[in-house]
Amino acid sequence: MRAIIRLTWVVPALVLVGVFVYLPLVQNFGFSTLEWDIYSGSREYVGLDNYRKLLGDPVFWSSFGNNLLYAAISVAVQVFGALVLAALIESVRSERWRRGLRVVYFIPSAISLTVAGLLFYFLYEPNLGVLNHALEAAGLGHLAQAWLGQEDTAMLAVIAMSQWQGFGYSTLLFAVAIQRIPSEIYGAAAIDGTGPVRRFFSVTLPLVREMTGLMTMVTISGAFQVFNEVMVMTGGGPDNSTQVLGTWLYRSGFVRNDFGYAAAIATVLFVITLAVALAQLWVTSRRRVEW
Amino acid sequence: MRSRALTTLAALVGTSVLTLAGCAGEPAQAPPAADVAATPEFSGTLSVLTKFAGEPLSPYFEKLAAEYQRAHPEVKVELIQETDQSIKDKLKTLTASNALPDVFFTWTGNWAENYVRGGRAADLTKVIGPDTPWGRTFSQASLSAFAYDGKFYGIPLYNNGKFMGYNKDAFAKAGIEVPKTFEELIGSCATLRKAGYEPITFGNKDGWPALHYLQQLFAYNVPPDTLRADFAPATAKLDHPGYVASLKQFKTLVDQCTDTREGTNGVLYSSAQEAFSNGKAAMYYQEILEFDNATSGKVVKPDDFGIFPLPVPQGAAGDPKVIEGAPEGYLINAASPRAALAVDFMKFVTNPDNAKTLSAPPYGQPSTVVGAVTPETSSKAVYEGIDLVNKASGLAIWLDTVTVPEVADAWLSGGEALISGGKTPEQVLDSVRQASASAR
Repeated sequence: MRAIIRLTWVVPALVLVGVFVYLPLVQNFGFSTLEWDIYSGSREYVGLDNYRKLLGDPVFWSSFGNNLLYAAISVAVQVFGALVLAALIESVRSERWRRGLRVVYFIPSAISLTVAGLLFYFLYEPNLGVLNHALEAAGLGHLAQAWLGQEDTAMLAVIAMSQWQGFGYSTLLFAVAIQRIPSEIYGAAAIDGTGPVRRFFSVTLPLVREMTGLMTMVTISGAFQVFNEVMVMTGGGPDNSTQVLGTWLYRSGFVRNDFGYAAAIATVLFVITLAVALAQLWVTSRRRVEW
Repeated sequence: MRSRALTTLAALVGTSVLTLAGCAGEPAQAPPAADVAATPEFSGTLSVLTKFAGEPLSPYFEKLAAEYQRAHPEVKVELIQETDQSIKDKLKTLTASNALPDVFFTWTGNWAENYVRGGRAADLTKVIGPDTPWGRTFSQASLSAFAYDGKFYGIPLYNNGKFMGYNKDAFAKAGIEVPKTFEELIGSCATLRKAGYEPITFGNKDGWPALHYLQQLFAYNVPPDTLRADFAPATAKLDHPGYVASLKQFKTLVDQCTDTREGTNGVLYSSAQEAFSNGKAAMYYQEILEFDNATSGKVVKPDDFGIFPLPVPQGAAGDPKVIEGAPEGYLINAASPRAALAVDFMKFVTNPDNAKTLSAPPYGQPSTVVGAVTPETSSKAVYEGIDLVNKASGLAIWLDTVTVPEVADAWLSGGEALISGGKTPEQVLDSVRQASASAR
């Protein structure tokens, strides 16, 4: 009886989570099995047809590839690049300089992705953009081009903006993780005669592995949820070359009126991010650093 | 324990799917037929979704709503104003969630047809049909643009057409005349460039500006009956050589007449408009709705501004007198409990005085009300544009609203690929054929 009374205290929370988190997930899967005409309201059950359609849709696969590219570059830059930068910042002797550098690198992360996307859109603009003017001023005018207007450069240009925006945040988190490493360990390494590079690989890297694992998973998961920057900068074009799963989902539903298919993409996206989240839990539980 | 949890989860998902799938094949519950001809009850809140967000258009409905509320103090007009781009998402979200406002904006073609087919738009024949007092105030062509199966559903607010706007000074400096054929237009580009101008400014970041060129060229190069059959996936063949010819002509224009060439997809439509308004470009392909805005800058003034229809290519097999464009208007929610009040409000919006205000600067939206667009009320260019639209043998509806969304999207991606050089005209047409077959 007491157990039931105790349970009543958590019922409101369970109901809230159930209604606002889990029910929409289940409903979304339900929608993905329907052919839904939003105008007439008719819904026809089509089983797993929308999932079969996914397999044969080249834009779905190119979108998935763009998400993978996004994840790979983000892990390289926002995890490993940020870790190296954090180690460099934390190796600066002056506390004032360290603080200043952390602020300088963090500023881009304080700008919203939508605003940053718009800023970079104008930076990349072929006629008025600073980038092309800078290239011309540096005698590299032959490299100037419509960065967002061509299939072979558009995706990389979007990803570059995202790295600029997210790099400082990761650096700050790594800086905090490095600060937690006891100075005695660095002192012992110095007495052993290790140089800065060796110290980085033998002391810093192993002792921030928990944060590295966490950041890797968060970054991969984030790379599959990309939406704002693509919508602002290219809208998925030209010729769908910058579509990612999030924007292709949106376009399938809101432009092509195929809401059942959009729900199927959402389900796939959910499965991917769920797998990454589970991997993250597994990694962080196994790689605990204690001293 | 784990397998039991999985079984429970699977049952939960399965139950949900079956519950949702239970609706399979059932049409939406038919809404009570809105009595649009009833005497309106002047009380309550009337929701109106417009496409007039931003300057200079947003004050138009704001002023009308305030005036209507003064005349009917018990009525509150709730305005939801969106832009050309944002209204597409807004309308679909509201439709999917059965939350359409009492009055809402629509394009013609497949866009409006979806609302009619789905029973979302009230049949207005009794109040706006061609033989009714209100219907007689509109041009017949604009009323017919919203007619389906002999019934009239739309309230046309303004007319529109696409024209090449040109800077008369630039043409004079370059020593060229208004081109009479598409080939002459292409030929004039080198001369204009030598005179220091970008011949044609063009921004295709959003994809649809390319469709405007393409649809006008299709109308010139493909016979009207073939074109009509090709817009409907059930009858589409898309095998007329005029399509490939049009795609090639468009690519030639982009490559020879714009400065951005294959990078045009990276330029905003509004940036292109500014390049024209600032006198940097000699020509800019634009809608009548943009004329007053394009000449409100510091450099190109209304007297420097001229227009001409996109010139017809030599030997074109379609209709050379068609102009691309369509009226835009409003539908009344078939489920609205205030349908009669909505009709009354729209009668007020389209009365002769308000129609003239809409047609005059700064709004510059040529009203569909007969007699509203005159040399006195409208700018010279808007008047000339509407005159040309009225004299055209027909109107070619925008490519992204005339056909089904899947096919329109394929044209949109194809236009971008053609500009960037990612696809040949033949490959673009092939991708559209596939989309059309898939939509069948």
